[in-house]
Amino acid sequence: MTAIETEGLIKWFGDLRALDGLSLTVERGELFGLLGPNGAGKSTTIKILTGQLLPDAGRVSVLGTDPTTEPIATREQVGILPEREAPPSFMTPREYFSFVGSVRGLEEQTVNGRVGEWSNRLTLGEKLDTLVTDLSRGQQQKVMITAAFLAEPDLVFIDEPLANLDPIVQERVRQYLVSYVEAGNTVFLSTHHIEVAEAICTRVGIVTEGHLIDDRDPSTLDPDESLLDLFLANVEATDWDGGVEANP
Amino acid sequence: MTQLDRRLFREMLREEWRLHTDLFGGRRFAAFPVMIAVIATGATWALTVSGTAIGAVIAGLHALVFAFGLHTGSMGLISRDAVRNLVGDATLLVFSGRTLPLSARRLVGIFLAKDAVYYSGLFLVPLSIGIVPIAGIGFLGRLPLLWASLSATFILGALMTFVGIGLTTRLPTAVVAVLLLGLIAVPWSIGVDPLSLTPYAFFRSPGALTALTSLLPLGAFAAIGLAAYDPTHRRPARTSDDRFSPIRDRLGDADGLLTKTLLDVSRSSGGFWKVVFSSGVLLAVTAGLIGIVEPLTGVKPSAPISFGALLGLSAFTTYNWLTQFDDLHEYSHHPVDAARVFRAKYRAFLLLGLPTVLGSYGVAIVLFGGAIVESIAGGILSVGTLLYLFGLTVYLTGFDPNEFLFDTLLYLAFTLGVSLGLVPVLILGFVLTPISPVLLGGIGVWGILLGGVGSELLRRSIPRWTRRYRR
Repeated sequence: MTAIETEGLIKWFGDLRALDGLSLTVERGELFGLLGPNGAGKSTTIKILTGQLLPDAGRVSVLGTDPTTEPIATREQVGILPEREAPPSFMTPREYFSFVGSVRGLEEQTVNGRVGEWSNRLTLGEKLDTLVTDLSRGQQQKVMITAAFLAEPDLVFIDEPLANLDPIVQERVRQYLVSYVEAGNTVFLSTHHIEVAEAICTRVGIVTEGHLIDDRDPSTLDPDESLLDLFLANVEATDWDGGVEANP
Repeated sequence: MTQLDRRLFREMLREEWRLHTDLFGGRRFAAFPVMIAVIATGATWALTVSGTAIGAVIAGLHALVFAFGLHTGSMGLISRDAVRNLVGDATLLVFSGRTLPLSARRLVGIFLAKDAVYYSGLFLVPLSIGIVPIAGIGFLGRLPLLWASLSATFILGALMTFVGIGLTTRLPTAVVAVLLLGLIAVPWSIGVDPLSLTPYAFFRSPGALTALTSLLPLGAFAAIGLAAYDPTHRRPARTSDDRFSPIRDRLGDADGLLTKTLLDVSRSSGGFWKVVFSSGVLLAVTAGLIGIVEPLTGVKPSAPISFGALLGLSAFTTYNWLTQFDDLHEYSHHPVDAARVFRAKYRAFLLLGLPTVLGSYGVAIVLFGGAIVESIAGGILSVGTLLYLFGLTVYLTGFDPNEFLFDTLLYLAFTLGVSLGLVPVLILGFVLTPISPVLLGGIGVWGILLGGVGSELLRRSIPRWTRRYRR
């Protein structure tokens, strides 16, 4: 079954063409990695897929919903871990999780149980009652990861999940993502970390200049071929210049 | 000043300009100084027509610029969090001491010098020029003096804030507050007018002695601030029990959006008191206006109608506090649409703004008196104005009331909207008194109409801003 489908997505920001006819399909149960250089359109893709931005053209479907016309219906079914967003400054993590639970209509008991699991997994327990503004970037990232998975959605969009995390927690998050997908869920991962994508993704798409230029299962690469080589070859072949073009 | 200092100074000036043009309407921001001059001329004209002496206007201008300096001195220096709340994920050159071999004191010193030059050029020059058309061509000779005096007053305000911030890196906030109050109280207690130690004294009577007494405090504050400022200071982490769930349950706030906003306001500097303080300032200003108008014009203003019209202006500051600590994008990764967020802000506004304005109005009536019918009409007007200005602010500025009102076009639209709603009743309240019962009834109806228009503007704001934020 298809989890995500886009066709011919186009998005302009003034004179910057962020997406240029992006088409891709992600099946349920996949851990799909979207790789690309800075400014290739990865974050814009996630924002359109989750109804945060409207495309200028193209078609998009997420878990049977259209995020352009029914963004709330889409977001009710998915979790989102944005790249640079921090939790609200003047709440504690515990309060923020209660807030997320309220917005998503979760029982308080359910929230508390899941927060306990995630606190152990991410070693967040001692910081649950500290105001977010006084947490480090890494601790804030842990709060955002927990919030994204709190409702245990069928599909999670993740933009750079491992930034600012220590190696132990990075490994735990990687393992969790793999097990999450093995349980039948879907993960859409945008990352610069090619080794992460190579290690855990079931399929990888390479995007540059706003469109998909390669799409394959990393396990099918030849023994003398690496995802890094593939990535560099694809990006260099497009003569990547940062995606700036004049708006026609 | 070394070559590096000069380079940093230039880059900080450029950064400030880019920050403002980015926040306040792009290149339209270049027209902002013109608007300041026009508003200064208009306000001076209105004040002098109502009988205020030009000298009093200039004294008031110094007070205004001092307050502006106090506020500007705090921006950017407090923390990256404060900057992020205002401009999003950004950082300023003043923080580059964390990554470059530059001392924090040096950067802060240049930062303050940049503020002095930038604001005295871009804001205080047009403010000074705006006085001239009303003060007369003969005032041109004193224009450089006025500009210098206002600039020094601005720097005094910024330096006082800097001293406060510097001292709080070493002393408890309460001790710092007492010390700063002592700065004013001690000269007063020994018979020295604190104003004689400010640049305003130099403007009143230019001379070598007043120049010395005016500039001495500037040097002293700069030295104390730089010495006291500890760049290694880190505030201890704050903790709290779960307050979210109990408040949410008590308010019946199922999605928690209202509760989150209330927590933001209560835990940021000043807590809920900053809302009350803003209303208190309006109360004091209105009381001052009433006190000035009667001896000058011989007309006794209607206190209930004057307070009813002007206290509603607190809608703008209250909404600003409600939206200062988040933005609509923050909610966009939750299954929440803009309409629900705006509704939560509206409920928070009613919870905080309504009791505050009615409380202030009640205090005004107790202090200044008023007949029952007049007081009821004024009360209705205060609520109507509050709702009208809330709707107008949301409609024009969406989620960013403070920043975008400095966009020249938006500011003019806001000023026009405020004038349409308030000028007719202000004329009645300040000039055409005593007000007949029929007119009082009309004022009550006008208040209800204003409330209705505000609600309609709020209703129309939601689809308007939902579309814009998804572009």
